[in-house]
Amino acid sequence: MKRFLICVALILAASSFTHASEEKYQFEDPAKRELFLELTQELRCPMCQNQNIADSDAMIANDLRRKVYQLLKQGKSREEVVVYMKSRYGDFVSYKPPVTPATLWLWLLPVIFVLGAVVFIVQSRKKAAVKADPEALAKAEVLLEKD
Amino acid sequence: MKKVLIFLLPLGFFVLVALFLFQGLFSDPRARDSSLVNKPLPDFNLPDLMQPQVEYTPEVFKGQVSLLNVWGVWCITCAIELPYLTELSDNGVRIVGLYYDQDTDPDFGTKTVGTIQQEVNAKLGQLGNPYAFNIFDTYRDYSLDLGVTGAPETFLIDKKGVIRMHHIGDVNPRVWKNKIGPVYQRLMSE
Repeated sequence: MKRFLICVALILAASSFTHASEEKYQFEDPAKRELFLELTQELRCPMCQNQNIADSDAMIANDLRRKVYQLLKQGKSREEVVVYMKSRYGDFVSYKPPVTPATLWLWLLPVIFVLGAVVFIVQSRKKAAVKADPEALAKAEVLLEKD
Repeated sequence: MKKVLIFLLPLGFFVLVALFLFQGLFSDPRARDSSLVNKPLPDFNLPDLMQPQVEYTPEVFKGQVSLLNVWGVWCITCAIELPYLTELSDNGVRIVGLYYDQDTDPDFGTKTVGTIQQEVNAKLGQLGNPYAFNIFDTYRDYSLDLGVTGAPETFLIDKKGVIRMHHIGDVNPRVWKNKIGPVYQRLMSE
């Protein structure tokens, strides 16, 4: 029981901590606050690879959050903030990759795969149908003759 | 014919996937093309770390090939590269420091410039001072403009003040010999 209580206390402490860090940046406009949360979800921490900047505790993520806050405070739009980051950290910094000759395959490959699979299925169906026909006909013939 | 194909297709597919994954074993996930290479240094107006009344602009890079080394006393890898950088600067390479402090929030930072100067002097006295001078990136804005992800990082800047190389990680004899040195020599003769 005692352990359980300690666990609960720890969880509560942890959750209040995250809440506090979330609210470090204050916005008067709720829309801007929403945009800030969205952007920090979408921007990737350049140091830690697989975390967004909202999630990461790295110094650079801290600095980027601060920068996003400053830029939004200056009235910059969503696109302007993303362009600002990309011009410094490259396309890497956004979790939404742009369509380029190299990344085009991310969209093309699944489509090609599905189309290929459809063609394959249709063709094998056709063959099966053709194959089955003579046998079925013969059987039908036999049945008819019996009658 | 069809049987051969049924055998070859998965094999070919497997070989392709294996090759793709194999080269992934040797690729460095942190290596990226910096979006600033071959662009002039972004504009700045920052104080000297030791004499805050002195202000620098990108003009200080004109006319000489320089290394711009981003560092801090709190950074362990920086301490490891300091002796080698000192060796390089003894051999005539101009190295300029871009210093930034680790205080996670400069807006509420409590460290005074004096404390930082003391720390820097102690560190450089201990490991060698390769720097012609140190630019103090007070609010860490400028390292953000340079696309710095963490210290140490080194930029090779040509005589016109254009960034020609961005190296992430420490500078050691191997990196100098294979990566930075050859370009440095070429820039010197430009």
